[in-house]
Amino acid sequence: MDNPEASGSRSALIEPTSWCHPANKVHRFLALLLMCFLCFGSYFCYDTPGALADNFKDDSHLNTSQFALLYSIYSWPNVVLCFIGGYLVDRYFGVRLGTVIYMTIVFIGAVIFAFGVYINAFWVMILGRFVFGIGGESLQVVVNNYVVLWFKGKELNMVFGLQLSFSRFGSTVNFWVMESVYRWVATYYAGYERLGVTLFLASLTCFVSLICGVILGWMDYRAEKILGRQDPQSNNEPFHLTDIKHFQTVFWPLCVICVAYYLAIFPFIALGKLFFERKFDFLPQDANNVNSMVYFLSAALSPFFGILIDKTGRNVTWVIISIVTTIGAHFMLAFTFFNPYIGVITLGISYSLLASGLWPLVALIVPEHQLGTAYGICQAVQNMGLATVIILAGVIVDKYGYLMLEMFFLGCLFISLISAILIYIMDSASNGVLNMSPSMRESTKPPSRNEGSDETATLLDNEDFTDQEETDSRRPSESHDLPANPRDSAQAQSDRIRSRYLSHILTTSNSERQ
Amino acid sequence: MHLRTLLIVFLLSLAYGEDRQIISKLNPGCPFPKTNKTLVYIQARGSHDTIHQVWDFTRGMPTIIYLISSLNSTLDVIWDDTEPSKFVLKGQRLYSFAATIDKLHEYDDIDNNGHIDNKCPQRAISFRNAVWSRSASVLTGQEAMLHMQGHFEEHWRKGTVDIKLDLLPYTDYAVDLPHLIHTANSTLVDIGLVNLTTSRDYNASRYAIHFVMLSTDSKQENMTYTMRKSLDDEHTPGVFEIFEIKTPKSYRSDDGGFMQFRPVGYTEPERSVSSSTNAYISNFTKTSLPKSSILKVFYEDYNSLLVQEMFISFGLPGDGYYRQHNYTSWSFTIGYGAPPVESFSLFVIIIISIGLGVPVLLALSGITYVLVRRCKQRNTPTRFTDDD
Repeated sequence: MDNPEASGSRSALIEPTSWCHPANKVHRFLALLLMCFLCFGSYFCYDTPGALADNFKDDSHLNTSQFALLYSIYSWPNVVLCFIGGYLVDRYFGVRLGTVIYMTIVFIGAVIFAFGVYINAFWVMILGRFVFGIGGESLQVVVNNYVVLWFKGKELNMVFGLQLSFSRFGSTVNFWVMESVYRWVATYYAGYERLGVTLFLASLTCFVSLICGVILGWMDYRAEKILGRQDPQSNNEPFHLTDIKHFQTVFWPLCVICVAYYLAIFPFIALGKLFFERKFDFLPQDANNVNSMVYFLSAALSPFFGILIDKTGRNVTWVIISIVTTIGAHFMLAFTFFNPYIGVITLGISYSLLASGLWPLVALIVPEHQLGTAYGICQAVQNMGLATVIILAGVIVDKYGYLMLEMFFLGCLFISLISAILIYIMDSASNGVLNMSPSMRESTKPPSRNEGSDETATLLDNEDFTDQEETDSRRPSESHDLPANPRDSAQAQSDRIRSRYLSHILTTSNSERQ
Repeated sequence: MHLRTLLIVFLLSLAYGEDRQIISKLNPGCPFPKTNKTLVYIQARGSHDTIHQVWDFTRGMPTIIYLISSLNSTLDVIWDDTEPSKFVLKGQRLYSFAATIDKLHEYDDIDNNGHIDNKCPQRAISFRNAVWSRSASVLTGQEAMLHMQGHFEEHWRKGTVDIKLDLLPYTDYAVDLPHLIHTANSTLVDIGLVNLTTSRDYNASRYAIHFVMLSTDSKQENMTYTMRKSLDDEHTPGVFEIFEIKTPKSYRSDDGGFMQFRPVGYTEPERSVSSSTNAYISNFTKTSLPKSSILKVFYEDYNSLLVQEMFISFGLPGDGYYRQHNYTSWSFTIGYGAPPVESFSLFVIIIISIGLGVPVLLALSGITYVLVRRCKQRNTPTRFTDDD
């Protein structure tokens, strides 16, 4: 194991071979387990309304517009918080306290929401989801900090992937179990009370996550003392709105995809259960199982697609392919009565492929010192899009039905397809870097003049950064403070091939500017 | 030129269903014009036949009769005091069918599954002696509309049964949910059960509507009911199913009678997705005409006709039964010919064509642009080729 801490100051009272020692594999694995469970609760509770959609309609008598507002309100605080959530942690809370604070907010939000359902007061439900949203996205930021703290070095990308997959798995499990939990509760309670009690039980997952956060905090405190570690606080890229002026034009169609594509995914999952029940006559549990496929596939496939993109490059082509297959999937769901599993599985695969191809592009387009701003903007516009459009989607379902909702999703996908083609054209018209295969990128690399160059190291960061991006983007906040990781990797100089390839990007983009 | 115009008109009428000229009358030929009994007669003249419709409330049971006859035929009503005693058709009867609601069933839904079945305790509430009053009517050449309110004779059973019949002689979607399609050949019927008192000994009261349908087909045949799924729920958000009941002649050759509805009812006067509930159709069995029905007057040969009955019941498990809202409403259309089929709206077609067209155009023009550029570059070698 080649982690920096291992070779660092190890003024340990405990033997490093003991599993209690923070540098020990078993110990770190334990920490990893806790980190995985940190976000499990918030992902689990995020989609409880989706998993109980028909019960919200029948027990709480919400129409689809009101129901959609439950999702929308989650995104509102995050339009702003994605810029400052990470900053607050670095500046004031620190990672340990930050985790506990955000986790507590998430837990309180989930409890308020459940209470609102229990007393059937819509405004309390909304308040609960709002509070939940405040904690939810920022939590991911601090968890990323933890991952960087504990796993900087070779394992980092793998750990990031694992942690994210596990969080996604939280959403999947939610779709699998909530229906049974509801039915069990329904034997003791009736009406909206049974729904409220079910949600109270769901919020227990957040409580478990909170406990994990506390334990992890203690472990981290202990590790800091034993290892004499320093907080890498300065790593967060600050947000400068003025950076926007310097972004390449091609960044903007990318932003459009960030918004438009995900609008055809998350609202679909949120409103999907009733769609499957009504159009395809699925039982509630079966409808949830279909609905969970998107998250499940993304949890399972993202690492492989990450490798695929790494090996083949050609990100823009992959993005276009995945948008086209997504359009095909939505077409199938809208205009046929084929088994929805076909459509949804296609959707899940395309979605994972898109995430793997799209997010690295940001790092290829934007220089490292502006990455914080770039990801911040992507996340803000995406949250803004989700916040407004989920409401719209609810109104469409109430007024014009599910076919029109599918039409709306297709419209969004058409917009993102147009943007992707625009990116392709703009890229081909300039140097074509975005859509090169690694071998092309390598073959076009100039002779070595990279070592020691500050800017090269920076770009190396970006590329490494892209590597671990199976970020989805409901929570791109995870990327917000990532530059911490690439810098370390840059020091490690772990991947020379890639650094040469990056030096090429550097020279071409420089020559473009000249 | 004339031929071409005729052809176009013919094609248009095929495509949109023919429009008809309607003449409607309230209690035609009744010797007591001020009576509060209600019978509406509508004559709808088409290009090659005439549809006579009778909406009758004179004997308590709401009844709709369709009679298709040759062109220029007339139907006269002979009255005995304030009740029709004979219907005289001058012309040839081509086909006829009718539907009547003879009673409601109040059932105790102990299993709480919404629909009525034989296991439920239930009691019939006959319309035979119900008292009907007209709350609104429009009888013009453009529309025939009748809104009736009925009360039961039992004094303890308060509440109103609302029935609205509407004939608009052109093809369009109805204004209200579930936005059924009405045509010149079909009538839209809304039924509302408002504030009905439920029986004290039933804890889980719901109401079911009992239909009797009749057609001039052979007694040996059967009416068919089918559930069809449409891709398009634009007009009834969230409801993809359409139920159709066809008389044997309609099933064979699309020139018989049909009844069409969506399996959705509403529990509030303001119809919306959140106030929707399920509507169930029961088994469809053979029966005989209810006693003292106007149908026995209209069809002298009623013993040889096909008569079937069914229940439509409403509710969802755990919805608090009828008393939760004290309101249930439901709509259906009844008509002659082929049941109308919904089609994708222009909006859907426009989005698909723009959505598919623009990216393709863009991709094509992009490819052309890049190709042209590359061709130019081939003449002046680039830095990349230098490197290689």
